[in-house]
Amino acid sequence: MSALAWGVKSLARRPLRTALSLAGIAVAAAMLLDMVMLSGGIDQSFAQLLLSRGYQIRLSPKGTLPFDTEASLSGTSAILATLRHDPAIEAAGAVLGASLYGRTRDSLITVFGYGIQPEAQALYQVTAGKDLVPEDTVGILLSDPAARVLGAGVGDSISLLGRLDPQVAVAGVGRRLVVRGMVHFVYDYRGQPSVATVLAAMQRLAHDGIQDRASLVVVKVRDNQAVERVAAGLRQRFPRLEVNSVADLVGHFRERLVYFRQLSYILGSMSLVVTVLLIATLLTITVNERLGEIATLRAIGVSRATIVRQVFAEGTALILLGATLGILLGLVTARYLDAILTSFPGLPATFSFFVPRADTLSRAGLVLVLTGAVAGLYPAWLAARAPIAATLRAEAT
Amino acid sequence: MRLGLTLLCLLLMAQVAAAQVTGIAVERSLAGQLRLHVGDTVRLGAAPDSMGRLAVVSAIYEPRPDPAEIAKGERHIRMHLPDLAAMLGSADRVDRFGVGLEPGVPPDSAVAMLNRAAFGYRAYSSRAIASESSQTFVVVSRFHRAIAVITIVASAVFLLCIMLLKVEERRTDAAVMRFVGVSGRTIFAALLLEAALIATVGSAVGIVLAWIAGMVTNAYYQRFFDTALIFSRITPEIVLFGVALSLVLGVLAGGAAAWRLVRTRPMVLWGRG
Repeated sequence: MSALAWGVKSLARRPLRTALSLAGIAVAAAMLLDMVMLSGGIDQSFAQLLLSRGYQIRLSPKGTLPFDTEASLSGTSAILATLRHDPAIEAAGAVLGASLYGRTRDSLITVFGYGIQPEAQALYQVTAGKDLVPEDTVGILLSDPAARVLGAGVGDSISLLGRLDPQVAVAGVGRRLVVRGMVHFVYDYRGQPSVATVLAAMQRLAHDGIQDRASLVVVKVRDNQAVERVAAGLRQRFPRLEVNSVADLVGHFRERLVYFRQLSYILGSMSLVVTVLLIATLLTITVNERLGEIATLRAIGVSRATIVRQVFAEGTALILLGATLGILLGLVTARYLDAILTSFPGLPATFSFFVPRADTLSRAGLVLVLTGAVAGLYPAWLAARAPIAATLRAEAT
Repeated sequence: MRLGLTLLCLLLMAQVAAAQVTGIAVERSLAGQLRLHVGDTVRLGAAPDSMGRLAVVSAIYEPRPDPAEIAKGERHIRMHLPDLAAMLGSADRVDRFGVGLEPGVPPDSAVAMLNRAAFGYRAYSSRAIASESSQTFVVVSRFHRAIAVITIVASAVFLLCIMLLKVEERRTDAAVMRFVGVSGRTIFAALLLEAALIATVGSAVGIVLAWIAGMVTNAYYQRFFDTALIFSRITPEIVLFGVALSLVLGVLAGGAAAWRLVRTRPMVLWGRG
């Protein structure tokens, strides 16, 4: 009989005890898996989000992160011209964000407006209708929530107002625009009503006479390997702008969500401690109960190494079964926990805290198996050093 | 007024005429970062290419601990509204007004009246703002509760398992006691008492551990975020809940295991059945 089969058979002798132990290991393993997914999922999900349109660098006003403040860049055309002349850069586009008002029959609806350059935009995917073209200053794109609140669809006309002045209760500017298409804005939070126009149209709606402003500039580098080098070059060329690669932005984001990473490390470690304690206690008691059996095996010539292997095998069987249950339980609880955390206000709807990946699952599994091995050390040592004669004598009385 | 925008400060070592500069109050952490002291002169601007305004640090202040701010890492200064408006080139414009009501005026009706008066702004009651801005913490709180439920389930299973093992370890003792005439009821009561004792001692140790962990957590995060906020607070209700849960689970698990033990024949317990 193989050591593993021996271990499984040994566990089957005490079904209630084994079931409870497996339940304990499964819950601890689920927690560990969730925490491993949480610790790496935040970075991965955010990086995927930023790279969803392939733009690897963002330029924003000095000292700010994209859309973190209302600060804007001036002289956008000159910046873009410089960027587009760089042979390492495939595309560069400016984005202007502003709060606008859509007029419905008898009220004004607040919407978020993006001014984009259709030839180089990193914000949305068209889901229905057509995309804007660079010269289209009367076209507009709507997100589903914006279409709902404005009651408009592809082909309809809507009125947008900008620069409302509360003192005189009138808008500084208003435009009638035709809905060209429906889009999914990748950075919008759930239910955010957003619209997009070409940059020039949004600049006129958002800024009073101050043209050529943008909230940020997005840059697509031809060679992915050259992103950091290009970003460093841009920092030198534009010392008065904040230049961030996706890796830099992930770093900033990680700093803001450092609490969750640390919580995941603490809870993951506690899960491992619980697993070690549970397995070690179970195996120690099992070995103590079976000292007579072990002594008999030793007396008939079974080697110490075989006994140790059998104890380890029992621990391994326990951890394998528990971890399998734990992974299933962990995936379910991860979805539940993710649903809670993704309800953070202002978080992009496509963002996820718990990202299951093959390497995450295998890493958690490996850690668990190692944990089982560590937990089996003491009981295995106990079994190996059992005195044969004294134990047999004690068993006989 | 707090300057939300990132302000770029450059310390000037040269003395400048006091009449040309304005006074500002600098947040303690920012003052530490830039090594600023009261009386130092700084150059301010809303953008790197417009750092033309001189200001004298007239105070260094400790901001009120705000959980919404700690993770952002933003640094603030305070200055008089006209100075900031002049620096930003947006005279007579503000982000928001605070309105104090006469005693007895219901905030909600005042809010409704203000919102009817004009468009282009939106009035909120303090309660509505508090509710809206606390959404992040509502989510964090829900996450903590979910984690707590998982932890309690894990602890409960662990406790059940340990109690079962603990009682089963007493099989031989129970058999001997039965052989010498001790009744099953007495053995059951003894094992139940033992389980209750273990749960009580375990709870006490757990409270001490939780207290130490709470202290470490507070010390670590207060230092990490440079704040006086309290991150972990062990209330009497939490202690009571933990002890009660531990006792109930311990006694139930011990009782169930003891019940199985006393129902088993002594010879089987002795290993000869």
